[in-house]
Amino acid sequence: MRELFSDILSIEGVKGLILFSLAGDIIFKQLNHTVLEVLENRDWRLFIESLSGMRETDLIFEKGRLYIRRTDIGYLVVLIGSFVPIAMMRLQCDILLPALKPAKAKKGIRKFFKK
Amino acid sequence: MIKNVLLVDDDQEMLMALKEGFTKYRDSFTVQLASDGLKAVKRLKKSVVSLVVTDLKMPGMDGFELLAHIMEHYPDIPVIIITGYSTPEMEHLAREGGAVGYIAKPFLIENLARQIMTTLRKESEGGTLHNVSSGIFLQLVEMEQKTCTIRLEDKFTGKKGILFFNEGELLDARVNDLQGEDAAYEVFSWDQVNLSIQNGCALKNKRIHSEMHYLILEAARRKDEDVSDPAPPSVLEEVEPYELDPATIIKNIKDKIEQAVGPACGLEDIYQDDSWDSLVFQLSRTGEYLNIGKLVLGYIDKGESNDYIILPGEKTTVISVNPKCPRDKLLQILSD
Repeated sequence: MRELFSDILSIEGVKGLILFSLAGDIIFKQLNHTVLEVLENRDWRLFIESLSGMRETDLIFEKGRLYIRRTDIGYLVVLIGSFVPIAMMRLQCDILLPALKPAKAKKGIRKFFKK
Repeated sequence: MIKNVLLVDDDQEMLMALKEGFTKYRDSFTVQLASDGLKAVKRLKKSVVSLVVTDLKMPGMDGFELLAHIMEHYPDIPVIIITGYSTPEMEHLAREGGAVGYIAKPFLIENLARQIMTTLRKESEGGTLHNVSSGIFLQLVEMEQKTCTIRLEDKFTGKKGILFFNEGELLDARVNDLQGEDAAYEVFSWDQVNLSIQNGCALKNKRIHSEMHYLILEAARRKDEDVSDPAPPSVLEEVEPYELDPATIIKNIKDKIEQAVGPACGLEDIYQDDSWDSLVFQLSRTGEYLNIGKLVLGYIDKGESNDYIILPGEKTTVISVNPKCPRDKLLQILSD
């Protein structure tokens, strides 16, 4: 999954990202260590519930910025610096979104064969 | 204890800009607004103010008169002068009059905030204590013969008061517009307080002549018999009429956007809507968890015909915009 996000993570000023499921579980994360522990200990359900109905959110905080994008499997939250080009971020997310779809169960005999 | 800073300026836009700029420091201090010296004097009577920031040129009572009033009646309250007509003579006069700071306009809000925080820090240089019994602690101050200024906050009502000690002797007390022994009775009736200690005492005149143990006992007796005057309204309940005036906030935002971007700004509507408050709260909490501070503003696309820009405040301000608006520019203007 890390490869999937490599284009976003390589944008200058991107400090990390978290992919949440719609239930508030962390599916993937890549952030600096100081924040990681806090992340694990928080119940993110309320946060995810509060994002309900939002397609795209760009939040400016005192010391950073969060770009949030809804995907078919949950919410992608990208932690960025204040001066990151948001247009580039949007573009990379547009490219990425089709890959973030729920896995479909393969039907019949095909499920026994790898592509 | 969160401190109250009183901002005094007849330029309402300046006041609102400062108020907005200082929201990010609300963990350290809150602001009250007054549009001239006379209103500031009224405000000083009604609430415990930790610091005053005042303009000089104002109708009615100007900044110099206000400074003189504060030095006479509230010598413990530091004053910072901000002025658009700065000359070396004016600065000299202001400092001689007792101002602790002098800043010429225009200035960066952060610079003023830094000066405010530095000055406020002195209020608690002697330490802070939480959930203590005021009577016991104050008798210790008397025994230790301390010279200090103690600011107290009643845990239950949030009411604030201030006591002045010189070598363990209680000189004066102040709670809203009460002074002297009446204020001391009020303070000593508070069972549990949070308090901060400032070393030194700016007050020289002795207004209280009774012994402390007498005041404490009398306060308890008055409390039991409930003979004290009705309490003045809590600071939290008071508001300057325009402080929370949504129309002014909305007009300021509209002007700011239209001046910076012009008619093609994509602005559809601006309103205040508390149904967004819980979202703003959750987002702000997330910022704190991720160590990026408080939420300043957000752009929200719900896939509807309009997008929204939200600005946290006492009530969330919502700016409804056309999705084709110059989004990055709007965010930059509003976050400045």
